[in-house]
Amino acid sequence: MTNNLRSELVVRENETGVGVERPRSYTNILPYILVFPAVMVILLLYLYPFLASFWKSFISKEGVLSLANYEKTLRLYRYDILFTLGVTVLSTLIATVLSILLAVYLRLSKSWLANRIGILYRLPIFLPFVVVAQMMRSFLAPHGIFNLFLAKLDLINIENPLQFFNWTGLTFGFVWKEAPFMILIILAGFQMIDDSYIEAAKSVGAKLPQIITKILIPMNKPTILIAVTLVFCSLIGCFSFPYMLIGGKTPVTITVDIAHRVNYFGDYGVANALGVFSYIMVSFLAIYYIRSMMRKGLYD
Amino acid sequence: MQKSVLRKSIEIIIFIVFIFFLFAPLLSLGIWSVALRWYWPHTLPQKIGFDYWLQALGITKSLTLGAVNVIPAFLLSLGIGIIVVIITMAIATPAGYALAKLKIPALLKGIILILFLLPRAFPQQPVFVNLMLMFNKIGLTGTVIGVIFVHLVVSLVYAVWITASTFSSIPPELEEAARSVGASRLKAFLRITLPISAPGLIASAVFVFLTSMDEFTGTFFVGLPFVTTLPMTLYSASGSNIQFASVTAILLLIPSILFMVLIQRFLKAEYLGGMGG
Repeated sequence: MTNNLRSELVVRENETGVGVERPRSYTNILPYILVFPAVMVILLLYLYPFLASFWKSFISKEGVLSLANYEKTLRLYRYDILFTLGVTVLSTLIATVLSILLAVYLRLSKSWLANRIGILYRLPIFLPFVVVAQMMRSFLAPHGIFNLFLAKLDLINIENPLQFFNWTGLTFGFVWKEAPFMILIILAGFQMIDDSYIEAAKSVGAKLPQIITKILIPMNKPTILIAVTLVFCSLIGCFSFPYMLIGGKTPVTITVDIAHRVNYFGDYGVANALGVFSYIMVSFLAIYYIRSMMRKGLYD
Repeated sequence: MQKSVLRKSIEIIIFIVFIFFLFAPLLSLGIWSVALRWYWPHTLPQKIGFDYWLQALGITKSLTLGAVNVIPAFLLSLGIGIIVVIITMAIATPAGYALAKLKIPALLKGIILILFLLPRAFPQQPVFVNLMLMFNKIGLTGTVIGVIFVHLVVSLVYAVWITASTFSSIPPELEEAARSVGASRLKAFLRITLPISAPGLIASAVFVFLTSMDEFTGTFFVGLPFVTTLPMTLYSASGSNIQFASVTAILLLIPSILFMVLIQRFLKAEYLGGMGG
C-alpha cells in the first residue's frame, strides 16, 4: 500500500518534470547520513571500549597474551563473583515474586487503597541509585530508623541492632529500587488481559491462586521474562549502590572490585577480566533480551 | 459479610506495610537533613534546624568537617546536562527518524539495532574503565568534555529509541500527503512530523537531561577527582557527613521526581528501567 503510493509519487514527479535523478540518489543515501553520527558515537565510545575489555583481559602486566589476569581474578575474587551472582539472583527473585503479587493485587482490586498504591509505587523508579544508596545508608544503619523501629516493637534488643551493611541491605535496596519497575511492566501486561477471561475462570469456580497461575502469569510470560531480564542485567552491573553501602567490606560485588583494581592498583587487566565475568553472568539473559527486542521491534 | 471484613483488613495491612517500606527510607533522608543533634536511641532528633541546608546552599558559611557547597556542583551538573541534551538530541533525532521512517536494508538495520541494544543488555562499568584508558591517552580524563562524552554515550541509546518510537507512531500518510502537494521532504518533516512528535521529543530530551544529572558510574571513572557533579558530591559527602549527604540527596531527587511525573506517560515502561544506574 505504502509502496504503491510511493511509486505513484515518483511517477507524478516524473510527469511534472521535477528533477528525478538528484532527489532519488539523495533519498537513497539520506538514511545513512541521518544515522551516521549516532552510529559513530556508539562505535567509538561504546563498542570499541566494550570489545577492548575482552582484549585487555588477556593482556598480562608485562604486555603479553596470557591467562594471568583470569588466574589472578579467580584466585582473589572467586568468592566475590559468587557473592555478586548470589545477591543478584536473590534480589531478582524476591523482586519478581513481590512485584507479581502486587501487580495481581493492583489488577484485581478496585478499592481506594489499591488506587493510592497504584500511584505511589512508581516513586522509586525515578530515584537514581546514588540517592537510594544514601537513603539506605541512613535507613539501614546500625543506629538507623529501621533498627529503631524494630527496637520500639521489641523485635530486637536495642543494645544489639541488626547489621544490614552486607548482602541483606544490598538485597533490600535492590528490591526497593527495582520491584516498582517490574510492577510497572508486569501490570501493563496484566491490564492487556480482558476482564472476561478472569470472570469466565471465576464462574467455573477458579480461586485466586488459580487465576494467578493459570491465567495472569501464563498469558504474560514474555512481559515477565523481559522485566526479570532487565532487572537482573542492571543489578549485575550496578556500581554506585554496593560501592556506597559495603564498599570497604568483604565480600563485595565485582563492580566494587573493578573500581578498587583501577583506583588503587591501576590494574586494568584484572579489572577487565572481572568485567568479562560480569558479561558472562548476564550473557544468556542479555542475548534473550536482544533477540526478543529484535523480534518485537524496538519502537513499534 | 465476614469475608469482606477480612478482605478489608488484609488490604489495610498491605497498605500500611507498603507505605512504611516505601516512605520510611525517604523519611530517614528528610529527618537527617534537618537533624542537628540526634543521639541513639532517641526516636527523633533532640535538636532540629536548617543549618546544614543553609550551609550546603552556601547561604551561611560552614566550618563543619566534610562540609559541601552544592551550588557549584549543581550548576556544573546543570550545564553538563544542558549541553548533553543539545548534542544528544541533535544526533538522536535524525537517527530515530531514519530508523522509523526511511528504508534501510534489513541486515544493516539489524546490526544498528543490536548496536543500540548492547549498552542496555550488558554491564557498562567495564566500558567506562576502558573509555577512561582511551581518554587518558588524549587528555580527556578529568575534564568536563570527557564527562560530556560519557553522558552522551549513556543517554544516546535511550534518546534514539524514544525518538524512533515517537516517529514510528505517526502515520506515514500525513507526510506523504504533504509531499504529494509539492512539499519537499524537509518541509514535510518540519511542518507535519516535527510538530506532531514534539511531546515525544520533549519527553526524550527530559529523559536525557535526567540521565545526565543522575549519571554516576561513568563520571566516577572519567570525571573524578576534578569534575564533581552533584552525584559525585553526594558520594564524597556520604562518607564524611550524613547531614550534608542527606541534603544533597534530596536536592538530587527533586528534579527526578518532578520531571518524571510530567513526562512518564509519554515513555514506554521499558525505558524507565534505565534511570539512574
